[in-house]
Amino acid sequence: MNKDQRLLLLVLIAFTGINGILIATGSIQLDAKGFGLIVGAGVTLAIYSFLYGDNPVFKLVEHAYVGVVAAYEFAQVWYQNILSDIIHPLAGNSDNPEPIWSIIVPTVLGSFLLTRLVGKAVWLSRLAFGLIVGLGAGLLIPRRISAYLIQQIEPTVGSIFTSTGFDPNAAFVLIGVVSVLVYFSFSLEHKGVVGVVSRVGIWFLMVSFGASFGYTVMARLSLLIGQLTFLMQDWLHVPLPLF
Amino acid sequence: MINRLQTLDRRVIYAVIFVGVALALLIDFKFPISATPNVRAVYQGVETLDKGQTILISFDFGPSTVTELGPMARAILHHCFSKELRVIAVTLLPEGQGITQSILEEVATEYDAKYGEDFVFLGYKAGNEAVILNMGQDLRRAFDKDVRGNSLATMAATRSITSLRDIPYIIDLTSGYPGVEEWIQFGQERYGFKLAAGVTAVMAPDAFPFLQSGQLEGLLGGLAGAAEYEHLIGREGQAVSGMRPQSVGHVIIIGFILFGNLAYFLGRSRT
Repeated sequence: MNKDQRLLLLVLIAFTGINGILIATGSIQLDAKGFGLIVGAGVTLAIYSFLYGDNPVFKLVEHAYVGVVAAYEFAQVWYQNILSDIIHPLAGNSDNPEPIWSIIVPTVLGSFLLTRLVGKAVWLSRLAFGLIVGLGAGLLIPRRISAYLIQQIEPTVGSIFTSTGFDPNAAFVLIGVVSVLVYFSFSLEHKGVVGVVSRVGIWFLMVSFGASFGYTVMARLSLLIGQLTFLMQDWLHVPLPLF
Repeated sequence: MINRLQTLDRRVIYAVIFVGVALALLIDFKFPISATPNVRAVYQGVETLDKGQTILISFDFGPSTVTELGPMARAILHHCFSKELRVIAVTLLPEGQGITQSILEEVATEYDAKYGEDFVFLGYKAGNEAVILNMGQDLRRAFDKDVRGNSLATMAATRSITSLRDIPYIIDLTSGYPGVEEWIQFGQERYGFKLAAGVTAVMAPDAFPFLQSGQLEGLLGGLAGAAEYEHLIGREGQAVSGMRPQSVGHVIIIGFILFGNLAYFLGRSRT
């Protein structure tokens, strides 16, 4: 037994012992909620064990998670979509006793996607994919141009000089956009004025990467705080704050 | 010594952050919280609605981001129910169904809000942006019934709502796709309602340009955004208490960044 295996065994014994004490003291009840708490705590610790190093307990929990999510999503899609949007309208119900036959067309097209799994019938899936790509492009292109380009250009280039005077924030945004665009203009040699402007663009990019990194740190810490709160408050029954 | 510092085991960093965050959770101290203009804008948006008006909240997040978006959802729901607004909840993610139901019922119970009259949960529908488009064209074609099987035409909260155009204010709480970008492109731009968003901290930098362009009325970013909203409604809870360990964690990480840079430059000057 190597060092890591001994450590894993020790953690498992400690986890069992803690749960035993919590059950014996009545902090965790022997019911579905109590079982859920123990599983939740165990799974959290197993996932965090990856920070020490890859291990079989992490792998087990990772695979179980994938399975549980797949099953949960299938159940949601079955009840909320397949049953309510396809089977019930076709079978007819008390609200609409007459079957809605027009549903058959999208249903058949949708089921063609599954023919990707059948070698000889794979061409049928192209019909459905063609529709998805065509519809997607038709819907998305004008919306993207409007939301990401037209609507963004106006606040970028406009209102540097407002009724109240010069707006340094608007000027800063404009300088940032222009300099970053110059930096990504690879057909121009980055020398002289172009070189200086592109260097300014690099600085803007660095600041934006820094802001993204800062927000990412904040997000990851929030997740740690949430799981630690769960472990301390819900599982170990430690009142927070304690001191 | 410098070499040892430069090759510091990453597990030491994890351990220091873990201990720092755990201690900050256990020990009570306070940091001042003040609401930023983008969070205040969301608050003002809800505040300007009159009693009985409808607000739609799209809970587009799953368990992996409930730590950030859960407190946000609770704070906004507290604000809505305290103002006696009618809340329509929907989710575009299958994982969002259970979370939405539990948060909605938890907050509604505190205000004795009645299902069907004061709030309705439409449930989940597959289709992402297509669902938003459908809801804009005809809400009852997109969601014929709510999650409990009641017809939208029979419930007081949804009887007069036939399209997204009939809803004065929509808030999207999102952790990715489908989310704020889809609500802007296929909802706000097309049907002209006021839209605000609550996003995970990772997504916040990408959402700020929409705020500047006026496509978003307001924006809540991460747990800090939720804490600011809790502060505004005068109900400091999970997010505000989370700011203690959050701040300590940030100080530790800044310390490690400075420490790492110092070790790097000292090492370079020696070579």
